[in-house]
Amino acid sequence: MKRNWSINRRTFLRGAFGAAVPLPFLNLMEASADSGVTNLAGDNAPPLRFMSLFKPNGVHPPSWNINGGTENDFRMSPLMAPFSQHKDDLVILDNMGDFGFSSHMNSTRRFLSGHHQNTSGASMDQLIADQIGGDTPHRSLELTTEGLFTGQIDCSYISYGPDGERLPRESDPQLIFDRLFRHPLSVPSKRRDMSSLLDRVNDDVKLLQRKAGKEDRDTLEEYLTVVRETEQRIGQINKNAKPSPINFEDIVRPPLATNLDEQVNTMIDLIALALWTDSTRCATYMLGNSNSRIIFDFLGVKEQHHYLSHFFRNFSRENIDGLLKISLWHMEKFDYLLTKLKSYKDQEGSLLDHTVVLFGSGMGHSDNHTAQRIPTILAGQGGGMLKTGRYLRYSKNQELGDLHLTLMQGFGIPIDSYANSGTPLQGLDGSPFDEYRERSFESWIKLSSGRIIVQGRLVMSENLDEAKTFYMEVDGKDPVRVDVSFRDFHDFNLPYHVGTPIVLTGNREEKNGQLLMTKVSDLKSVFGKSNPGRQRG
Amino acid sequence: MPKRIQPLLLACTGIGFVLDPFAARAIEPNPENISLFLEAYCLKCHSGEKVKGKVDFGTVSVTAASKDDFDFWQLAAEVVDYEDMPPEDEKQPTAEERAAFQSYYENRYVQIEAKPGVFLPRRLSAPEYRNTMRSLFGFDLENRVQKAEQTAIEPSLILKLMPTDPPGESGFINDTHGAPISTTLWDQYAYFSEVALIRLFSRSRPQSLNAFLEVELPKNYRHEDFTLSMGQTLFRKFVTKAYRRPVSDKEFEDIQSPLVGLSGAKLVSALKFEMQAVLMSPSFLYRGMRMEKVPGIQHEVDAFELAERLSYFLWEDSPDEELFNLTSDGSLLEPKIFEQQVSRMLKSPKARSLAESFANQWLALDGINDAYKDPYLLVSYKSQPLDFLNYLFTENRPIMEMIDSEVTFTNSVTASVYPEDRKKLEKYVKPKGIEKQAPPNQKLLLEKTPGRGGLLTMPAVLAMNHGPIIRGTWTLERILGEHIGEPPADVPPIEATLGNQKLTFREQFALHRNNATCARCHEKIDPIGFAFEAYNDRGAYLLGDITSFPKGMQSKKKVDGPVDTTGRLSTSETFENFEELKQIFMTSRREAIIGNIVERTLSYALCRKLGAHDGPTVEAITEKMLVEGATWGQLFFNVANSLPFRETVIPARKKP
Repeated sequence: MKRNWSINRRTFLRGAFGAAVPLPFLNLMEASADSGVTNLAGDNAPPLRFMSLFKPNGVHPPSWNINGGTENDFRMSPLMAPFSQHKDDLVILDNMGDFGFSSHMNSTRRFLSGHHQNTSGASMDQLIADQIGGDTPHRSLELTTEGLFTGQIDCSYISYGPDGERLPRESDPQLIFDRLFRHPLSVPSKRRDMSSLLDRVNDDVKLLQRKAGKEDRDTLEEYLTVVRETEQRIGQINKNAKPSPINFEDIVRPPLATNLDEQVNTMIDLIALALWTDSTRCATYMLGNSNSRIIFDFLGVKEQHHYLSHFFRNFSRENIDGLLKISLWHMEKFDYLLTKLKSYKDQEGSLLDHTVVLFGSGMGHSDNHTAQRIPTILAGQGGGMLKTGRYLRYSKNQELGDLHLTLMQGFGIPIDSYANSGTPLQGLDGSPFDEYRERSFESWIKLSSGRIIVQGRLVMSENLDEAKTFYMEVDGKDPVRVDVSFRDFHDFNLPYHVGTPIVLTGNREEKNGQLLMTKVSDLKSVFGKSNPGRQRG
Repeated sequence: MPKRIQPLLLACTGIGFVLDPFAARAIEPNPENISLFLEAYCLKCHSGEKVKGKVDFGTVSVTAASKDDFDFWQLAAEVVDYEDMPPEDEKQPTAEERAAFQSYYENRYVQIEAKPGVFLPRRLSAPEYRNTMRSLFGFDLENRVQKAEQTAIEPSLILKLMPTDPPGESGFINDTHGAPISTTLWDQYAYFSEVALIRLFSRSRPQSLNAFLEVELPKNYRHEDFTLSMGQTLFRKFVTKAYRRPVSDKEFEDIQSPLVGLSGAKLVSALKFEMQAVLMSPSFLYRGMRMEKVPGIQHEVDAFELAERLSYFLWEDSPDEELFNLTSDGSLLEPKIFEQQVSRMLKSPKARSLAESFANQWLALDGINDAYKDPYLLVSYKSQPLDFLNYLFTENRPIMEMIDSEVTFTNSVTASVYPEDRKKLEKYVKPKGIEKQAPPNQKLLLEKTPGRGGLLTMPAVLAMNHGPIIRGTWTLERILGEHIGEPPADVPPIEATLGNQKLTFREQFALHRNNATCARCHEKIDPIGFAFEAYNDRGAYLLGDITSFPKGMQSKKKVDGPVDTTGRLSTSETFENFEELKQIFMTSRREAIIGNIVERTLSYALCRKLGAHDGPTVEAITEKMLVEGATWGQLFFNVANSLPFRETVIPARKKP
C-alpha cells in the first residue's frame, strides 16, 4: 500500500515539537494536527488495524452484566464505568460464550481461536496479520505482562501460529520500543553510529595485534571477521534502504517502568504508536495470564488475583473489594487504550476509526468458570466494519468462533468457517440480529414439609456483601433467598442459569420471615438445558 | 606413577578399567613394534590419499617426543582397546598386540610431566558476561516482566536475548573456545552496551554514575553540568574496571583524546561512544587478551590475570575491588594472601555460582527442569541439591559428604521424604491469599531417615533420571568418572531379543548382558542402576515414605512384593540395597570419586578439556584430597594454586 501522508507526519514530528517527542506527549499531536497539515486522504484509505486486549480471570458477573436495556438504549454496568466515555465507539456483546464450564486453559485458547478444541490452527489475530500485514516491518506483536505459567502452559498464550503452536510473547516495553524504533541497522543514524564504532574497535584490535601471539591473533581474526561482516551488512542496507517516512530518532525511548501500572501504560503507548506509525497492523496484549497470580500491591491488594477471582469460595467483603479493584484497573487500561487510539489522527478520523479492538476475557463467572456471558466488547469503526454505540444481547449463546469468523471476513479473509463455527455473527454492522427477548413464563412457589420448589428467574445478589447469595424472583411475592454451599453452587452451575427461568428444588428454611433455600437437590431449566455440561480440559 | 592412581587416569582418558597389560606375555611397546602394528592393522584405511574418518596416521609421528597429538592417540588407544577397530571384517590383532598398543599410549602420554596449557584467549560465556556487566555498572539489565508465584520468568535481559553458549569440549559452557563470536552476538553486545550506557547516564537514577565519580549528583541532574575532569575520571575508572587491568598513561591519553575540549551534553554523548567502544573491544569481551605474555617459555601469569582466573572460577564474575587492589603491587602472588583471598571469596554469596554453574553443568542438573512443570514444585525440588552443594562448597565441608551426609536442605514441599526428621522444621506460614508458594529451604539434620543422605538420593536427582539404565549411566559417568560411550549401532533393541518371554526389566537386562558387546557396558551400568529400584520416578522411596509424598507426586506404580535392589559389581563386591552400595562408594570407590571430582573441578577452573599434561596435576591434587576429611575449600584452593591455573605457555613467535 502506497502512503502519501508520510511527509505530514515527519513535518509534524519535527516541526511542531523540535528534535524530540517524548512518548507521553505524542497524544498532543491530535490537538494541532489540523493546524499545519492538509489532509491528503484522496484515493488511499488508511490501513485497517486489529488489536486485542485480554482481561484475565473472568469477572464478578453482578458487577459486569448489563441486565435490561435494548440495543440503542442501555446503561453501562458499574464495572464498565471506567470506559463509559467511549460508549459511542463500542459494540458491547452479551450472551457470547460456549457451553458449560471452562478451564483456564480452554478459556485462553478460545479467546482468539474460536473454540477451545481448535488447537491445531492459527488464532484469528494471526490470520488477520497475514491478511493485512502487507509490507509493515513487523507482521504482528504478541505482548503480555506476566511470565510463563508453566504448570498449565496454555494459560499464558492467546496468539497461536499456523499449527496451533504458542507464539512467544514479549513483556518489556523498552525492548519492544527498541525493536520497533531503535533497531541498530534499520535506523540511519544507528547505522552511522555502528560504522564509527566499528572503526574505533578496529583501532583497538590493531593495538592488540601488535602484542599478540599466534593464538590471540587467531581469536582477533575471528573477531575482525565479524567486524568486517557487520560493515558489509551496513553497506548493503545503506545501498538498499528507502528513506523512512518517519524519523524514529525523534521518538524518545520510554523510561524504565517502576510498577505494573507504568509498565502497562507504556506498553499501550507503544501499541498505539506502533499502529499509528504503521510499524505493525496487528497486536495482541494480555493484561495477565488466564489464571494470573499477580499481586496488585500498587492498588493496595495483597492477595493473588486468581485467589480473589474465586470470590464465592474465598468470600469475604475485603476479597470482593480487592477483586473489584483489580477488575476496575483492567477496565481503566481498556479506557487508556481507547483514549490513546483516539488521540492519534489518522487522515480524516482517529486511529481508532481505522482499528478494530477486541476486548474481553475467556470466561464469564470467575469463580465457577462459566463459559457464558463472557465479557466481550468491540471498539472502533474498523473503517465501517462495525456500527458502534450499541449493546447486542443475543437471544442464545453465540460462540466466540462466530464473532471471530465475522471479523476475519470483515478484514477481507475469504473463509466461510472457522474453528467450530460456520455462521457469521449477526448485527455487528447494524444488520438485524436475533435479539434477546423475554419469553413469558409462570412463576410460583410450592412448599412442603422441609422442602421448597420454586419456578422463577434466578438472579445473583447485587449486594456485594452477599456475594454468596442468589435469589429466585417470583411474581407478586418476595424473592426466595438461595444460600448454598460451594458444592451446590458448582454442581448445579448456578451462574450458568442466572437471568433465566428455572425450577429449583431444595431444603426449606425460614429466617426473619424470609423464605430461604439451603440445599439444592434439583434444577430444571424452563426453556434451555438443565445440565450445561462439565468442565473440559 | 603410584599404582592406585591408575584406574583414575584411565577413566580420565576414556579407556575404562583394563587388565594390567603386562600380565600377558608382552610385546615391547616400542616405536618399531607400533609401526608394525599400524602397518598391519591401520594404514590401509587411515593413511594415503583417501583417509577414512579423517583419521590419518600419516600426519602424526610414532617416535616424536612431542605430546601434541594427545587427542589423536587417545582416540586410537580407545578404539583399539574397545575392539571397535580394526573393523570386524578385517584382520584382528592379538590380545598381546592390543596390550602393547595400550602401553605405548600410556608411556607416551600418561607418564609425563605437568605443564600448563598453551594460552588461548577466551570469550566470556553468557552468564559471565551478565555478571561482569552487572559488576561493572552496578545494576542488572533487567527484562521487565511481572513476577508472580508459579510463573517462570527470566529476569536478566542478557540471558533472555543472548544465544545460549553450547558446552565446549570440557562439557562446561565457560569453555567457549568452540563457540566463536558471531554477527548475532555482535549485535547483542552492541545492544546491551548501548542499553546499559543509556541507563548509566539516566538523569533520574544517578546512583551508578555517582559510584564512579565519587560525588553526589542530584536526582535529575543536568548533562550540561558534566565537566571534562568528571568525564576523564569516569572514563579511566570505567576502562580499568572493564579491562580488569589498568591501561597505561600513554594509552589512556590516546583513548581519551576525543573527549578533550568537550563539555556538557556533547561530552556525555562522546563519553557514551567511547565507553561503548570499550565494551565492544576484545579486551573486554575476551579473557586474557591483555595478559603480559613472554613467548617461548612457560611462566607464571601476572597478578591481574591470576585475579581474573580466580574470580571467574569461584564467582563466574570479574574481580571485585578488594581482589583488584591486591593486583597492582603484585601482593596477590604471595601465597598467604592468595590463600586468604580464596577463602574470603568462597564465603561470598557470589560463590553460589559454583553450585549454580559448575555443579549444575557437571551433574547435568538442568535435567530437573524437565521433571517438574510447575515452578512451585521445580523451585522446591531443584533448590534442594543446589542449596546442599552450595553448603558443601562454601562452608568447607568434606568432599565425600556429597555422597553421604547427615545434612539436607528442605522445605515443606520436599520434606515429605524425611517423615520423622521433618518435625524439626520451623513452621512456615504463607500469607493469606497466596495459593501456592515455594517456601525457603531450611537446613535439616537427618537423624531418623535412612537412605536419604547425600546427593544421589535427593528426590530431584532421582526424578531427573528415570529407570535403572539412565540412573546407572549417570552415576558411572558423573560421579565415578567412567566414560561409557554410545551403545553400538548394530545392537538390536531389547524387546526384539525377547521373543514371547515375559520377563521383568531386570531379567531382560540379564539376558541382554549375555551378548558380550552389551555386557562390556551393562555389567557396569546395571548393578548400580538397579540398586536405585526402591525409588520411583518421582524419587519417592517405595518401601517407606511413598504415601507421604505430596498429591500428584505419588507413584502410580504399585509395588508387588519385595523390590530387588541387590547387585554385584565387576569387582565382585556385593550389596543388598543402595545404602550398602553407597558404603562401597564411600570406601573402595572413594578414590575414583575424588579423582573424578578433581578432574571436573580443574577442567571447569581452566575452562577447557584436560589434556595429557594435566594428568600429573590431577594426580597430585587427588593425592592431597584422599587424606581423610579433605574439604571442598581445600580442593578449590589446590586447583587455584595448581600449575596449569597459575602458569601459562606462549608459543615462540615464528618469523613471518
